[in-house]
Amino acid sequence: MDDDSMGSHLSVVIDLSPTHWELSSREAPENTYPLTLATFLSQLLAFLNSHIACRHENTLAVFGAFPGKSVMLYSSSNPVPDSLSTDVNANSYPPFSAVDSTVVQRIMSELDLLEKDEEEAPSALVGSLVKALCYVNRITLPPSSNSKAQANGFHPGVLPDPRILILSVSPDLATSYIPIMNAIFSAQKLKATIDVCQIYGPNTVFLQQAAHLTGGSYIFLERRDALLQYLIMSFLPPPSIRKTLSVPTQEQVDFRAACFCHKKIIDIGFVCSVCLSSECYLPAATSNNNQLGLVFCQPLPVCTTCRTKFPMKTLTRLNAARPLLATGNSAPSQSRLTSGPVTNNGVGGAPHSGTNGAR
Amino acid sequence: MPPRRDGEYLQVDSDSDIEIGPGRKGKGKDKAGDKRKKDKGKGKATEAAYTWEASYTRSWDTVQEDEAGSLQGAVEDWMARGRRRRLLAPAAPVRRTIIRHLVLLLDLSTSMLDRDMRPTRFDLTLQYAREFIVEWFDQNPLGQIGVVGMRAGIGERVGEMSGNPQDVLKAIADRHKLEPTGEPSLQNSIELARNSMNHLPTHSSREILIIFGSLTTCDPHNIHDTLNACVTNKIRISVVALAAEMKICRELCDKTGGQFGVAMNEGHFKDLLFELIPPPAQRALTRAAGAGATNPAADLMMMGFPTRLPDASPPSLCVCHSELRSEGFLCPRCLAKVCDVPTDCDICDLMIVSSPHLARSYHHLFPVKPYTAVMSMVDASDSSGCHGCARVFPVAALVGVSEGMSAVGRYRCPDCRGEFCSDCDVFVHDVVHSCPGCGQ
Repeated sequence: MDDDSMGSHLSVVIDLSPTHWELSSREAPENTYPLTLATFLSQLLAFLNSHIACRHENTLAVFGAFPGKSVMLYSSSNPVPDSLSTDVNANSYPPFSAVDSTVVQRIMSELDLLEKDEEEAPSALVGSLVKALCYVNRITLPPSSNSKAQANGFHPGVLPDPRILILSVSPDLATSYIPIMNAIFSAQKLKATIDVCQIYGPNTVFLQQAAHLTGGSYIFLERRDALLQYLIMSFLPPPSIRKTLSVPTQEQVDFRAACFCHKKIIDIGFVCSVCLSSECYLPAATSNNNQLGLVFCQPLPVCTTCRTKFPMKTLTRLNAARPLLATGNSAPSQSRLTSGPVTNNGVGGAPHSGTNGAR
Repeated sequence: MPPRRDGEYLQVDSDSDIEIGPGRKGKGKDKAGDKRKKDKGKGKATEAAYTWEASYTRSWDTVQEDEAGSLQGAVEDWMARGRRRRLLAPAAPVRRTIIRHLVLLLDLSTSMLDRDMRPTRFDLTLQYAREFIVEWFDQNPLGQIGVVGMRAGIGERVGEMSGNPQDVLKAIADRHKLEPTGEPSLQNSIELARNSMNHLPTHSSREILIIFGSLTTCDPHNIHDTLNACVTNKIRISVVALAAEMKICRELCDKTGGQFGVAMNEGHFKDLLFELIPPPAQRALTRAAGAGATNPAADLMMMGFPTRLPDASPPSLCVCHSELRSEGFLCPRCLAKVCDVPTDCDICDLMIVSSPHLARSYHHLFPVKPYTAVMSMVDASDSSGCHGCARVFPVAALVGVSEGMSAVGRYRCPDCRGEFCSDCDVFVHDVVHSCPGCGQ
């Protein structure tokens, strides 16, 4: 194994949404195990230090996802500004104190910049994830093409198995589905592993998929007071060693997609063959999460993305298929939906008779 | 749609014609080239250069080292050219077929044993076919490939239509089972391929890709009838010829809207093959003419997103192989257990895909806007590092940069105004397909 000579790269993406950290730090009865941002940071810094301590060649980058903004907090390739490394302590290992002070001071200054009155934007988790990927891309590029890095005296080489650890506190953001998927595929291309630790809030389907598809592990934190132990036991060893350590893997991965029109997560969707954007028609109040998702789905007469009109026959066929599963759907919405293409039937229906017959 | 590569090929032809002497037409040249090729194929190493050699650009000549002996300038030029091409790409979205069905038709006649491509045409074809299949499935996750071989005057099914790259690769893994013999028959094998795609729905594309090394075909009937049948069935035929242009091959491609190309050398062969990987733009269905006109290929499909069972779940029988397995996917409608996705549920016929399969094709639909090059330090923002990878930007402007390149190494996103280095620009547009600054 060539791990002996090479370190490994770790990018950490921290979700720093003030609202969710506030919710997370509330005492019981709301939380059995409250976790404040300060405790979290001290445990995280211990984890980051242990990553650096594992091997001299190990590299580290830390990204923060603030509301509507993503910032690189620390990276081993960029020299630490002198202003931040003031507190030189004879008893501390300089790289540790550099990481600690840089990360904490940057987080504090970014949080101070946030507007107090404004409604909080969702945290830019995707932006920081893509940035982390850009950074991984940069350090995995052959050294010839980044001569500037060499000039700085930093020889990245090609580090084996770069990984990205996402520490998330926010729930899924349906609008970020496509960028997250794009990020997952590029991580696959870069052979980067994405690990996810969901610290607060419900399970996130998208991040589960990210971990599953890139061969990382997704951990939902049950005992939040034991964060450091989770981090060190599961996320510290590089992926090559994890096989022998039996790091917890996911029990069940949800492979459902989010629909385009309502950004809801669905079981059965209707897909336009022209643009293949998942479409469904869900009434506003559908908390029904059973496997028969078709109960609330309705075919649309016109694709919302590419404005293609669908043949009447398909609509009637799909509508006819629905009552087998659904009972008592709202009649008015159906009539409104089907009234659209009726005028168009003469044009659209004719060429399709063959298709439907063939099925 | 006029095949783009076709034009390029003709371009090469006309160039080389000038070399031979004016007045010769493209076809005449082909025959001349072909004779020489055949000579060489028989092992008589002729010293005469191929006519196309004069027009052939040597890639190693176009790359120039700078004073320091570094190739960086040349590489950056190359990237800039790519960037320009992206900027020139039409802004109007092109409709592409995502669900593709392809039959790969391999020539397994004796002419494939020619050694004009190293080691032999046959071995090279198998090697490239494997690479092609892997890349094809990467870009067309919902597609299916079948393999048909043509040898000894008949078409024989080598691999069933399958959506699993491993199955397709296994079909062509054993070269001894595909040992070339006899004459090829275009008609027999096209008929075989056509019949295996008859049942497919219209919203998917049906394609045949022929890798043809022979210069003859022995057909039982009129091949033009087969051609007409393919046109009616909307099957697109593309041919990569290894020897020379044949009229019937050209006609097959032209009439069905496919692409035709003759491989000049090993590298060109691969290029021709890999050009067929991106999903084809949907054929001219002029929906724009009348707003009410309906695209006959437009249809609404029902798709189910399955639940994946964990590896440690109790084993149960799957509906596709009737084997006891613990892992698998549950159909969302009938809860039947299937082994692999994407597939059609064997019980309720619902198309089962996993959302990553669908999402893989999204980047065709939502491309990132091209970044504009920041031309001088005056325009540049006060950020000191790349917005993506935080690489520090050069402070001094470079001199002598080519068009489309930024002198200060900064490329700006038109939406979020973030500035990126050239590596990130290429990475964001070619790999990630979403801008780190916009975050969408």
